[in-house]
Amino acid sequence: MMSSHLTWMIIRNNNAYLLKKRNIKKPFSTEPNNLNNLSSYRYSGLIHKKSVGVVAAPDNKGFTVVYKKSRSSYKPAKSVVKRTMKAGPRRSLYKLKRLLRANKYRTDLTKAALRRASAVLKSQKPLPIKKARAKKSD
Amino acid sequence: MSLSAARPLISIYNDKNEPLGTTVALPAVFKAPIRPDIVNFVHDNMAKNHRQPYSVNKDAGHQTSAESWGTGRAVARIPRVRGGGTHRSGQGAFGNMCRGGRMFAPTKPWRRWHRRININQKRYALVSAIAASGVPALVMSKGHLIQDIPELPLVVDDKVQEYSKTKQAVVFLRRIKAWADIQKVYKSRRFRAGKGKMRNRRRIQRRGPLVIYGQDQGLTKAFRNIPGVDLINVSKLNLLKLAPGGHVGRFVIWTQSAFSKLDELFGSWRKTSKLKKGYNLPMPKMANTDLTRLLKAEEIRSVLRAPIKQKRSVKKLNPLTNTRAMLRLNPYAAVLKRKAILTSLQSRRKRQELLAKKRGITLEPTAAEARARKLQEQRRAAIQKAKAEKAKKPKVEKEEKPTPGKEGKKAKTPAKGDKTPVKGAKAPGKGGKAPAKGGKAAAKEAKVLGKEAKAPAKEAKAPAKEAKAPAKEAKAPAKEAKAPAKEGKAPAEETKKVAEGSPKK
Repeated sequence: MMSSHLTWMIIRNNNAYLLKKRNIKKPFSTEPNNLNNLSSYRYSGLIHKKSVGVVAAPDNKGFTVVYKKSRSSYKPAKSVVKRTMKAGPRRSLYKLKRLLRANKYRTDLTKAALRRASAVLKSQKPLPIKKARAKKSD
Repeated sequence: MSLSAARPLISIYNDKNEPLGTTVALPAVFKAPIRPDIVNFVHDNMAKNHRQPYSVNKDAGHQTSAESWGTGRAVARIPRVRGGGTHRSGQGAFGNMCRGGRMFAPTKPWRRWHRRININQKRYALVSAIAASGVPALVMSKGHLIQDIPELPLVVDDKVQEYSKTKQAVVFLRRIKAWADIQKVYKSRRFRAGKGKMRNRRRIQRRGPLVIYGQDQGLTKAFRNIPGVDLINVSKLNLLKLAPGGHVGRFVIWTQSAFSKLDELFGSWRKTSKLKKGYNLPMPKMANTDLTRLLKAEEIRSVLRAPIKQKRSVKKLNPLTNTRAMLRLNPYAAVLKRKAILTSLQSRRKRQELLAKKRGITLEPTAAEARARKLQEQRRAAIQKAKAEKAKKPKVEKEEKPTPGKEGKKAKTPAKGDKTPVKGAKAPGKGGKAPAKGGKAAAKEAKVLGKEAKAPAKEAKAPAKEAKAPAKEAKAPAKEAKAPAKEGKAPAEETKKVAEGSPKK
């Protein structure tokens, strides 16, 4: 009943996930399902019936796509679906793209989702060893 | 959205988080317009209503008989304390700037502490706050952790009203997954910043869920010791609890009887409220707030005039520095540029070679050369491997008849013809295709050539070939191998394979 536009107007300057920093015009958002952590209408994970989130998978191999089922928007426990993509980067990125495009699910977010997924995957690669110091991370 | 809005059915959950099976229609309150501005205004004013007056002592600063010394005494004209024999004598008094004087505008207890608010405004705010508590986005934005609760608005069986032990209450909250919100309260316990600490307001914490009940049969006592939880009776709804801080979207847990009473309390647009005389829910300014749908709706679009598209000025990009702009103007520039780059590379290479010659050093091959060489070796290795495998299956192949033999013959002749296209195309992709094409095209040629070639070459080889024809892959090419260059084999093998493969395809 509450359209996303209305809720956005209520929330935009006033919510628990809003993060403003000095000298930065556009505020950030710390909500979980936001693809680029910006506080904006398009990227907000709370207001829309359909939203996409990309997180590192729990065992730190691959990433998990979290998306909302558009039917059960009033049943928070049931509305979230998680899909973990463990295959290597080429494949999982393709799968992500497929998932969104084929179902026409928030196609305006595909690029951002792919970017976030690549960033997650990149962070999971071991860092290149530098000359004198060996720096390896997860 | 208001008058004709569908009212979905909300299922009621028992205290074990299972849907009971009974459902209630959503009370109309939840569809009321949400006006955070009204809520804020009313909350501000309501919050002033439980203030206690403060003021300074009315005598403060005046309990002296000070008088000004006047002019001519080389001191400021402020009233000064009379008498002598003490530090105090002669000190300034009465003024707000004097030490020991009264403050500017001493605070009085008859300040207007409370505010009255129009009843309708109060009700509007209340109704908005209730409506907002049914929108998951708003409740989550307020910070409540409701990710795992079964449904919003959350309605629970009336059994909860009979709880008497806090333990039961805790178990219940755990079961309906509201406990996360309460844990958040625990984590948020901290000391207040500022002087409030020494004014009996030492600790602060977050607000947790609000439980609204119909009848208190012990519920209050059970829940009141859980931090963050607030209890209200439905008939006495309080905006300060429903929209704490003036912000809408508190997490509310309703009991069944409370929920059902909402319709009587507030009515729906079609019926006035039963319990509030003559009250009806506020009318929204916009019935349908979904902008995206409105903008695409036929009813609206059909009445609009065509959009006037302003030609926007495109930023001019300098073709001398921006290659794409250049290509837009002169596509041939790409060719020129490429040529320039290649020639410069080549000339550089030549110079290097010259120098190397002079110095007697052998240069490393360029990247392209290295790649080509590598490819060649790989393919050679692959071919050898394939040949080796086929060499192991001569008997199976022998069963096959002359037709494969003809193909074998065909394949041999085009072997020579194929050399050129294959050699020329060393890139991997092309390598695969060229022999294929060469194979097909050459297959036709082969028939012609083959007949010609047959006469001389094949008389000797003919019986041998036909015997070996089925075993062509293994032996025949092995013979050929000696005669022409090895590369001849490669396309031969490949053409055969491909020629056989392609008809299958």
